[in-house]
Amino acid sequence: MEAVMTAPIQEKKITSDGIIGMVFVLATEAMFFAGLISAYIVNRAGVMVWPPAGQPRLPIEVTAVNTLVLLSSAFALYMFGRRVKSAAYIKIRSKGLLTAALLLGATFLAVQGTEWVKLVGYGLTTHSSLYGAFFYTLIGLHGAHVLVGLTILLYLFSSFRKPLPFGVLKSRIIACSMYWYFVVAIWPILYILVYLN
Amino acid sequence: MDATLHKQSFWSKYIFSTDHKVIGMQYAIMGIIMAGVGGFLAYVFRYNLAYPNASIPLFGHLSATQYNAFVTCHGMIMVFWVGMPVLLSALGNLLIPLMIGTDDMAFPTVNMLSFWIFFLSAVVLLASFFVPGGAFGGGWTMYPPFSAGGYVNHNPHFFTALFSGVSLMILAVALELVAMLMGGINFVVTTINKRTKGMTAFRVPIVVWFINIASVIFMFSVGPLVAGAFMLLFDNILGTGFYDPARGGDPMLWEHLFWFFGHPEVYVLLLPALGVLAEILPVFARKPLFGYKPIIYMALVSAVLSVLVWAHHQFVAGIDPRMATFFSIGTILISIPFAGIFLSFMATLWKGSIKFSVPMMWVLGFIGLFLIGGLTGLFLGSNTFDIYAHDTYFVVAHFHYTLFPDIFFGFFAAIYYWFPKFTGKSLNAGLGKLHFWLTFFAFNVTWFVLFFNGLAGQHRRINDYSDFSLIMREPYITFEKIATISAIILILSQFIFLYNLFTSLAKAKKGVKNPWESNTLEWVADSPPPHGNFQTYPVVYHGPYEYSLPGEGADFLPQNVQGKNDTNNVTQNNYEHKTATSFATHK
Repeated sequence: MEAVMTAPIQEKKITSDGIIGMVFVLATEAMFFAGLISAYIVNRAGVMVWPPAGQPRLPIEVTAVNTLVLLSSAFALYMFGRRVKSAAYIKIRSKGLLTAALLLGATFLAVQGTEWVKLVGYGLTTHSSLYGAFFYTLIGLHGAHVLVGLTILLYLFSSFRKPLPFGVLKSRIIACSMYWYFVVAIWPILYILVYLN
Repeated sequence: MDATLHKQSFWSKYIFSTDHKVIGMQYAIMGIIMAGVGGFLAYVFRYNLAYPNASIPLFGHLSATQYNAFVTCHGMIMVFWVGMPVLLSALGNLLIPLMIGTDDMAFPTVNMLSFWIFFLSAVVLLASFFVPGGAFGGGWTMYPPFSAGGYVNHNPHFFTALFSGVSLMILAVALELVAMLMGGINFVVTTINKRTKGMTAFRVPIVVWFINIASVIFMFSVGPLVAGAFMLLFDNILGTGFYDPARGGDPMLWEHLFWFFGHPEVYVLLLPALGVLAEILPVFARKPLFGYKPIIYMALVSAVLSVLVWAHHQFVAGIDPRMATFFSIGTILISIPFAGIFLSFMATLWKGSIKFSVPMMWVLGFIGLFLIGGLTGLFLGSNTFDIYAHDTYFVVAHFHYTLFPDIFFGFFAAIYYWFPKFTGKSLNAGLGKLHFWLTFFAFNVTWFVLFFNGLAGQHRRINDYSDFSLIMREPYITFEKIATISAIILILSQFIFLYNLFTSLAKAKKGVKNPWESNTLEWVADSPPPHGNFQTYPVVYHGPYEYSLPGEGADFLPQNVQGKNDTNNVTQNNYEHKTATSFATHK
């Protein structure tokens, strides 16, 4: 004996649920990385010889190029978001930029992976030194975030198959892009702190 | 809301439901089950403390290792698997959409996942009792070196290390935090975006405000703990040495990361319970809540201060004395906003026509007990006294005097108050009062005597005092026995509640909409509210605490009823004007 109900009447929304939710996710993520980075800085400050003797040096040049790859991925995503002006527009033109962002992000992860294999070969492991432990923890947890970011971009890509109202589509693009921008923005900080230090 | 949506299978209606009320009840039931586990552990080790080496009824002999594991898991369970789910998740889920007048959470699927991740975390924690070596026994704070395998094993076998008590506990806590995070984001987004017409920010009930503030504190502080937990897990399963001084690590690092979350966590637990108090007090004092806006501001101040006090847990661990002074001052400062909130509660009672209903008794009991907890906290906040009382039963009694009323009195007040709404039935008031008085007395007897044991030097982490005749002499041996017998009475009296719960659930549905004559929007919906909550969505005209207004017919004015002083323009905030008039007549 369920009666048909009316739809909720609501106060004006500030912006979409997804975007507000993402703001809080990213605030939490920012505190997560703040915890990791402060742990690294405090520990690093107490050590004279860094990296420790007998431990391999990190691949600064390759990773510098890789940093540019990641940054250009964020740029491609930004251009994609700017170009989407209507729901119909997405089918014909700008999916290429999203694909480019995805592929560049995947390239970054692949290059990181191959560098890791080399480093393990040179004797840098999680238990070889605190240097290795911090390297794999910081860079590895960032890598895990890149993987999550790529999954989110894939979800965004697949959600174009169903026709969506433009407003929903636009706020979904913004919310998903925010995560990717965060993952990209945190990387230069880690690069400077871990590789160039 | 489409009527065809309501034909659901058993699984989608009660198990993998996305309905906020079902999820809230799942959290509450899970919390009660885990409270049973935590209570049983407490019974076993308290029995052992009073009668060392005795065979414990229903358990048998308790070894020293088991004692450590039981104390550790008791703390873990009561904070993370009872306090968090019942106060934050259950109350947040049950109340927020109804109180702000909407159909469901902003992200119902995320909400459902949140509960099942929480369920999984509880399973992982309980499983840790059955792995080789048993559950982790190094204290609920998981300080290294007790918790860091990297000290002894630089190259551990991955799976052996993963399925150890400590790794499973870290994983369980991490999963639980993820579940709470998903819930917290849901609460905040729902409150920001899904309020009904006329429900402006300063017409939102205090409990919704407080659950949101608690969620934000949680989100702000949980990141560093998860970062620290990853490092601790890697110390165990990958052989990193983050917390091993012999390899350049620092065990203090964990203490900072842990308490940066651990202390705000007590306010995450406290605020929703204070919100429950703020809802119940005006209803049974038949008076507007004293200082609606100041209460919110004071909670915001305490939220900011809560992340600046964490190192008061580390006064003895060896921090810079200048830093200790800073944290001492912060700790004592944070008692000011909470004193303000409690003063507002007292002022709400002042010259009210108080009804001693069962929920009101739990609320008044809460205020009395929390006063003792808060005042002993002031002693401990001072660096100089804390060094003397560190790790004694004085500290243990202090945080039981805060957390027990917070978690259990807050939860019972909420259950006795909102049970008619969510079931359409009512709990037996006589049994409720018996439950209250037994719990109140047994709790006080258990913990008050332990303050003296603590001041006499009894340390919290020793399972058998037989060899410490200087500390464990009369009257402290008797006190220990009194505390244990009283704790058993405390646990047994909870069966009255369970009996009351089950017999009341077996009764026929009455469906009284507003038994307490209350103002907030959940009482406008049917009892129990159907999927989708409201037949007609309410429009709000004024704040939530308009009791005994002069010139109105009844002594309460629900938020969706337009009073004489309310203008038609529902977006205009005329709350302050109206409370001002109602105070004037109460003088």
